[in-house]
Amino acid sequence: MANSEYGLLIDYHWCTGCKSCEMACSVEHDIPIGQFGIRVDQFGPWENAPDDWTYFFMPVPTDQCDLCAERTAKGKKPTCVHHCQAACMEYGKIEDLAKKLTDHPKQVLYAL
Amino acid sequence: MTDQENNETIGQNAGLGMSGGGKVVPMQNDPTAATRKDTWEEDGFTVVRGNARTAPGCHDNCGILMYIDKDGKLDHVEGDPDDPYNQGRLCLRCLTLPDVVYHKDRQLHPLKRDRADRGKDKWEQITWEEAYEICERELRAVQEKYGPQAIQVFCGTGRDIVGYHPMLANILDTPNQGMGFLSGQGCYVPRMFSTTMKIGNLYTGDYSQNWIDRYDNPNWVRPDYVVIWGNNPVVANSDGTLGHWIVECMKRGTKLITIDPKLTWCAAHSEYWLQVRPGTDSALALAMAHVIVEEDLYDHEFVDCWCYGFEEYQEHIKDWTPTRVAEICDIDEDLIWSAARALGNADGWALQWGVALDHTAEGFYSGASCYDLCALCGQFDKPGGMVCGKPSFGVPVTWIGSDTDWIPTKRNQYEHLHGDYPALRVIGMPSPDATLEALEGKYDYPVKAAWLQTNNCLANMGAQPQRIAKGLMEDDFNVVMDLWMTPTAMAVADVFLPVTTFPERFGLTGHQPYRTGAINKAIDTIGECRSDPQVVVEMGRIFKGADLFPWSDGEHFDEEAFYDYLLRNSGFTWDDLKSRTWAYPEMKYYRYKTGEIRDDGEPGFSTPTGRYEFYSVNLEAMGMRPLAFYEEPPESPISRPDLLEKYPLTLTTGARQWGFFHSEGRQVPHLRAIHPEPEVTIHPADAEKYGIADGDWVIIENQYGSCKQKAKIDIRIKQGVVSADHGWWFPERDREDGFFGTFESNINNCIPMRPGSTGLGCSYKSVLCSIRKA
Repeated sequence: MANSEYGLLIDYHWCTGCKSCEMACSVEHDIPIGQFGIRVDQFGPWENAPDDWTYFFMPVPTDQCDLCAERTAKGKKPTCVHHCQAACMEYGKIEDLAKKLTDHPKQVLYAL
Repeated sequence: MTDQENNETIGQNAGLGMSGGGKVVPMQNDPTAATRKDTWEEDGFTVVRGNARTAPGCHDNCGILMYIDKDGKLDHVEGDPDDPYNQGRLCLRCLTLPDVVYHKDRQLHPLKRDRADRGKDKWEQITWEEAYEICERELRAVQEKYGPQAIQVFCGTGRDIVGYHPMLANILDTPNQGMGFLSGQGCYVPRMFSTTMKIGNLYTGDYSQNWIDRYDNPNWVRPDYVVIWGNNPVVANSDGTLGHWIVECMKRGTKLITIDPKLTWCAAHSEYWLQVRPGTDSALALAMAHVIVEEDLYDHEFVDCWCYGFEEYQEHIKDWTPTRVAEICDIDEDLIWSAARALGNADGWALQWGVALDHTAEGFYSGASCYDLCALCGQFDKPGGMVCGKPSFGVPVTWIGSDTDWIPTKRNQYEHLHGDYPALRVIGMPSPDATLEALEGKYDYPVKAAWLQTNNCLANMGAQPQRIAKGLMEDDFNVVMDLWMTPTAMAVADVFLPVTTFPERFGLTGHQPYRTGAINKAIDTIGECRSDPQVVVEMGRIFKGADLFPWSDGEHFDEEAFYDYLLRNSGFTWDDLKSRTWAYPEMKYYRYKTGEIRDDGEPGFSTPTGRYEFYSVNLEAMGMRPLAFYEEPPESPISRPDLLEKYPLTLTTGARQWGFFHSEGRQVPHLRAIHPEPEVTIHPADAEKYGIADGDWVIIENQYGSCKQKAKIDIRIKQGVVSADHGWWFPERDREDGFFGTFESNINNCIPMRPGSTGLGCSYKSVLCSIRKA
């Protein structure tokens, strides 16, 4: 089980929807096709005003996420964080990650 | 002077494939090189550090860690966090690599089939010895009967072959080597050749990739803007550019200008998105230049001191007003003014161009028109602008060029199959369009054998593929080398050769000019597969004799000795490179000012005038138009209003998909699950007009043919344009069922095999079509 002391901070403004987190998780944990330890959801596109688009992606960890307990025990990053092509995911103690939320908008912190 | 000699002269002037005057280029300081290991033990695995190249196909060389279990099997891979190239990140294709390496459908042995049984599943497993005996017998027969020029050496893209196929052409004494059945050699060649005529070298956007310490390097400046022109870089990762480098620039303040008929993620995150009609890019570039000159925003020092032909260019762009071009491109005129002013006022900006520029008939000039904008703004050789791509450490096989001096050849004695097209006459490449006509007997030139390596033309890039299949099925001899029994192999091959994946081989990185790296072997070869370069070299032994090899006794192929030989002018050995995995050459900006660009050591660029040529002296000498221009695509709503009643929509094809590399990946379950069917993207208004619902199967049709794809109704595509997938075949189907059903959803049924006036450029992204519910 995941340790609720740790979490994932995602700076989703930079998420391009590349699905590397999904695939890294699936192959690391042998998750069957159709199930996910983390899944990238798409919002939009819709036009808020001329030339102003809502079109972003949001990775969402599922119940199958154990924050890569085996990897993190060895000092490695969770595989989704390691392989994220936009390098917009961070693993750490929730209290440390929470402080970063005030830096800039469009971030989300998952406690798992 | 023959065309071939003429081409080599121009290539030398252009600095293509040259080692920079034979001087050893120093390496950048690499603080971890001394302690960096290429192999270590970790948690019961042996870890081998390497570069992800190739097969499977890719345009990049990401650093990769291969985890080998105690049985010697590749268990999994991870991105190498220490490698400056990708800094740990990996895409879906590497993450699923073991699924490819151990896939049940991989072909692991050479096969033969009787010529009379082409298209039928009547293969027989043979030894390499027999495969080579057949190749020798049949290719020599073609050489003797028709001349060696009747052999076509055709590659595709993404595999480690571009630097090695010129060797094979030397070995087989044929002048015909190129990208077979890609109409108009329409991938990078049109852009590369036209812009090389203007500036002498190829320049690419500066995302810090030339620096070992990347974004932290004090000499590097992030671009103020990246202009993403006909490219979706985060998905495509094209031509040695890892798309997410641009996201790293964005994090550091770079803004985007995106020119694309489709709202990509990059477009949605751009300061300006210009949703142009497909094929109109040159017109837009001319109008942006018009604004920059009219408002006096251009770089006077660069234009005055380092450019040639500005007066003619200034006169030329006068008529290309934003008002006129807004109508051509079908965009808001204000956007042209604003985007052009942004570039004129920026400090550094980088052009991130895509293959869309090549994929219109006069695509030869699209890239050139964009380079003119870079020149106006003085962006060449500037931090955060455009950086010069000479082969790293002067090892030409790793970028554009080859290493063929050690292979005696008679290829220069034969005129290549240029189809009378002026650009192809000069560049020394065959016209794939004329090759098809020759196969059909409509053009007088013998085409009797095809060597297809990394080339699945019937499923992927061959326009009008059923014509190509028919033509190749009637020639004398065909060889296909691939990972799988592809539709192309199934239809036309007489001999099939199985290729290794990259964990099974050694080699040098390629397809980029930034750094040189080692492909490191991590597991035993599976079955009897061999690497692409190995087969090229072994063909050399067969056709030119054992004495050919300068690096060995010729008895057997010593893979590591071969790569050591290719590094002979680099200043380091294969062993050095293997143990450090990557090496970065010294990097400097503004080298045109210090005489470090031209081979003669004079300041300036490698052009006849020594300057950037708005007006190209070489192009004029070759009988081509010296200034970049715009011409309507041959089939567009403007050029062919007579077709609009039947074919009212503009068809663009080939948008890249996460997880696939062209026609690769359809048999990998994890990748197929992400994009299970061929899709055509249709704007909601068009879908309503033609009675199509999301998920319907749709017939796409025009005067060339038709195919079937699944409708994806999506506001992201420009109204009046449909965007169709390419590269589809169905590996799960029967081999004899239309060669895995490859013609059923093949959008190239609707694309003509017809280049533009120069012979370069094609119509993959700009024809007309209709759609209806299947």
